[in-house]
Formats: sequence, structure tokens, C-alpha cells
Amino acid sequence: MSEYETKSGLIRPSRRRLLTGGAALGIAAPFVLRNGRAQAQSKNLVFVTWGGTYRSSVEEGLIKPFMAETGINVTVIDTPDLAKVKAQVTTGNVEWDVFDAPGAMGTGGSREGYWEPLPASLFDASDLSIPATKDLVPFYTFAGGIAYDPKRHPEGKYPRNFAEYFDAKAFPGRRTFRNRPSETLEAALLADGVPPSKLYPLDVDRAFKALDRIKPSVAKWVDSTPQTITLLQTNEVDFSYSYASRVKTTGATGAGMAFSFAQTLNGLEYLAVLKNAPNKENALKFVSYALQPARQAATMELLGNTPVSKKALPMLSAETRKWLPNMESDQNLVMDEMWWSTNYEKLSRRFKEWVLS
Amino acid sequence: MTGVENSRAAAAFVSPAALVSLAIAAVPLLFILYTSLGGAALSLEAFENLLTSTLFRRSLYTTLEISVSASLISLVLGYVVALHLARQPPRRRAVYMVLVLLPFWTSILVKSYAFTVILGREGVINLVLSWVFGTQVALPMILNRFGVMVGMTNYLTPFIVFPVLASLLAIDPALYRAADIMSARPMRIFFTITLPLSLPGIVAGVSSVMVMSLGFFVIPALLGGRQDVMLANLVDFYTRETLDWNMAAAIGVLLLAMVVLLSAPALWMRRNQLAGKA
Repeated sequence: MSEYETKSGLIRPSRRRLLTGGAALGIAAPFVLRNGRAQAQSKNLVFVTWGGTYRSSVEEGLIKPFMAETGINVTVIDTPDLAKVKAQVTTGNVEWDVFDAPGAMGTGGSREGYWEPLPASLFDASDLSIPATKDLVPFYTFAGGIAYDPKRHPEGKYPRNFAEYFDAKAFPGRRTFRNRPSETLEAALLADGVPPSKLYPLDVDRAFKALDRIKPSVAKWVDSTPQTITLLQTNEVDFSYSYASRVKTTGATGAGMAFSFAQTLNGLEYLAVLKNAPNKENALKFVSYALQPARQAATMELLGNTPVSKKALPMLSAETRKWLPNMESDQNLVMDEMWWSTNYEKLSRRFKEWVLS
Repeated sequence: MTGVENSRAAAAFVSPAALVSLAIAAVPLLFILYTSLGGAALSLEAFENLLTSTLFRRSLYTTLEISVSASLISLVLGYVVALHLARQPPRRRAVYMVLVLLPFWTSILVKSYAFTVILGREGVINLVLSWVFGTQVALPMILNRFGVMVGMTNYLTPFIVFPVLASLLAIDPALYRAADIMSARPMRIFFTITLPLSLPGIVAGVSSVMVMSLGFFVIPALLGGRQDVMLANLVDFYTRETLDWNMAAAIGVLLLAMVVLLSAPALWMRRNQLAGKA
């Protein structure tokens, strides 16, 4: 069992060690018998997810209970990378089973045919706030929006929604945006008065025109997510486009930043199973397990993101729910990742050229 | 030993390393070349797309501009350090060399965040300046080209120091004594002895630093402004975001071509040196 605690991103345990590890769990035998031939070949699973505290949250809330219940040994690998998926799938040398995919990676992989189909029977469709697709299941949604320092900008002095975020006269100050068209174009259109329900398909020209207005006030087009917070903490910027779960963790170190829940852009995180995954049966079982209300609640309590299981939501503590957006509000938007999967490449190029000019 | 024997001996010594690097570098490089031509299609479409793309042309220009200026600044900074090191007694020099190496042992990502703390609007430098002048000073030193230059030269300077130091230490001390006896002034000694004789070190240092800076992208992404986009960022974009390996490989091939062109002066220098000795 110790394999999954080692830095598996760096030291990959050999297949044999994994097999002995799996056998040593002891509880393997009855399970194998019950689940047929495919199971008999494997007691392992490789799960690719994000590092740091994210990883320990997922281990605590999801992976440890899964291993204890099923006897399947999960190896956790850091940092989902679609290029590596492409390399594995196209060379037929697949090493990963389950992939923790942010919106664009999930739909991009789906477009390229890198994922196994997910049978509808794996999930309780009535419990999911966002439906699964043929090869992707939403894991949670994460709220992006306006972060600020409440000490520098008390109530009334910070932009609450995107219209105000784009109003540099009423709310003077340096701002950030992500260095990519997704999220940024949505924010621009919301700021320009398009109602969240009528946003897609995006009116791209209108979005760029709105962005032209705010461009002089943007101090940084951020590439790396942690920088959305550090720039705010070091007073490099006054307001930052960041994420509720990231802002929440700043409270732990004392000088907490704040996040406006008046308007949020909610991105999707998916789970997917790689095409021809070596432990496909275990992978399907894992994905199904991850969507169970109890697991959703335990994991999201630690991650600070919104579960997609409706039953999981009331199981979360009041403290955690304080940091989740109200998904019933008509001001909040769930991003249309499918729209992006067909438009991302072309718009990225246009966006990058626009940023340079 | 004649020149021919010399190069034969060199070939014998170098061949094991050459074979290993052929196996682990040349094969993937050929594959990249193959991918850049669209695989079996053997088309130049990716290159045509690149050369007509504004995004590529602007990034190429920025990359060259940043690489050249970072290399020159590193050369000046590194040369001064190397001069100083060359004058120290060996034991103290060893200690100083460790100090030069220190930045190597810190991750580039951590250093970039450290520079935010030092150079930021409320960073150490601006705080001291504000205190000295008794007014709020907020010089913009990051999220612009200045930040990129500080970050890159901090990383690159050691790569100048060591080859230049090796060249400086190889200069025969008798030359300095002779110049001194002839009452040459320090400036004259520097320009007629030190500088020309350290030229091989300069060329080696500058070409390796140029080559390295062509591939930078973490520092410009964290410390740079919106226009500081390097070609490596584009490679990353095509490799991981759009999965267009055809384009990514084509950029890689063009970068490699630039590197080869840049190492030409080093080769030429080496040949001249060998010819001079023979």
C-alpha cells in the first residue's frame, strides 16, 4: 500500500511490485471472484491528478476509502497532461487509467477520441447537476471570479460583478486576467451586458471589443494559476481574476483575501478513462465511486469545490458551503466546455495575437 | 603532435560520448524533423503556416531581442565577476565559485517568486527607496521587460563566469609582468592582453547562454509583461493545448536551426585556434 504514498510521479513502481502490493492486501480474492475475468488480471489502477494539497485532499476523500473498500491498489501520478495522453494512446503504450481533466483537456481528448466510453449505468443520472457525456463525467465545478484584498478595498470599493470589473473609472486599479480566451471572453460578454443564459455561442467580436476597453488596466495576463493570488497578496494588483477555492486557502495563513460571489464563472473538471487503459474495469469502478454522494461530499469538503452530486451538497459543512457559489443564481454561469472544444484553438491564436498587439 | 594526429586522438576520445548522444538525441531530433514535415506527407505546410502567422513572427522577434540582450548583459556582469575571481588566491576562489553556483541550486520557479518579493511594487527595493526619499516609490520592475532581464541574467551569468574564468586563468602571467615592465597602463593591459586572450571563453559563454535563453519560458511567463512571449511558450501552446505537434515540431526545427547558426562562431573560433597552434 505504500506505493501510492511515494512520489509516484518520479519513481514509478514496477509492475511486479504493484502486483505483490495488490496481493498483499489480502482482501483481493473474494472480490476477484465476484467480478469476473477482467478483474482477475488486475488489482491496480493508475490515477493522474494534480499535485500538492489538491492531491492530498483527493487521497483522503476518495482514494483511501476506494482502496479500503475494493482492495484495488491506486497509484497516483501528478499533473494531467493531454500531450502525454496523446503520446500514450497514439503509440498504443497506455500506462494511465483515470485522468483528472479540466474542461478544455477533457473535451479536447474527447474530440481526439482518447477516452473510453462511460456506460450510463455507472452513474445516478438524477443525482448529477450536470449530465455525463458519452466519455466524460463531471467531477466538480470550480468558481472563477473577482478576488480582492478586503483590507485595501472594503465593501463598496471593490467590483462585485464583471460589469464593475470592466469599469476602471468607478473602480480604479490594476487587474489580472487569465492568458487564454476561455473565461476571459465570457467575463467580457457578461460585463458588456449579455445575460448568462444567452452567452453561448459567444459573440467573439463583441467580447474582444469589450476587452479593448479594459486592456490598459490589466497589469498581468496570468499563465500560472497560483500567480492569480500571489500578485494580489503582494499588492502588485488591486483586483484579480482567481478562484474561490484558491482564495479560501489564503485565510489559513492569516491575511485572508476575499472573493465576490455575486457573479461567478464555473468551469468543469471531468474524470475520463483512457482508451485501452490497462486496468479499464477498475477505472470504470473508480469513476463511478467518485460520483457517489458520500465520496463527493468528503472530497469536496477538502478541495473546496462544488460537487456535481446534488445529494452531496447538503452534506458539506456550513463553513465549506460559505465558499461555494449559489448555482441557482441567474448571475452565475456554467461554462460550455463543448463549445470551447471546437473553438479553442482558433480563438487562442486570435487571443494571443490580440494580447501582443 | 601534428594537427592530423591531434584530431585523430580527439576522435577516439570523443566517439563514445558522441555515440551515446547520437542514440539519445539524434533519433528523437530526426523524429521531430519528420513530425514537422507532417509525417509521411512530407509537406512544408507547417512551416508555411508559421511564416505567415503574426503570432509566430512577433514571438520570434521578441525571442531574439530578449535572448541577445540577456546574453550581452550576462556577459558584462559575468566578465567582471570572472576577472575578480581570477585574481583571488586559489582557496578563496574556490569559495567564491561556490557562491556563483548558489543560484543554480534554487528552482527557477521559486526564484521567480522571490523576485516578485524583491522587485515588486511593495518589494524590498521600493520599500527602501520609499523610506530614503520619504515618499511612496513604486518603480515598476516586474511584469515588464526589466523583470525578464533580471530573472534571466540571474540564471545565465554563471554560464558566462566559468568559461571566461577558464580563459583568464590560462593566460601566461609572464605576459602581465612584461606589460608591467614596459609600463603599460591597466586599461592598455586589459585591451591588448586580457580581452583578446579571453575571447575563446567569451565566445563559448555567450553562445551557450544565447542557446539557453532561446528556450526560456517560465521567467518571461512569471516576470514578464503581456508582450514578452517567447517561442518556447508557443511550442508549449501547440504541444499541450492544441495538440498540434506538427506546428510544435516545426517551431522546434526552426529553433534548432537558429542554435546551429549561433554555434557557428564558436566552431570557427576553435578551428582558428587549432590552426594557430599547428
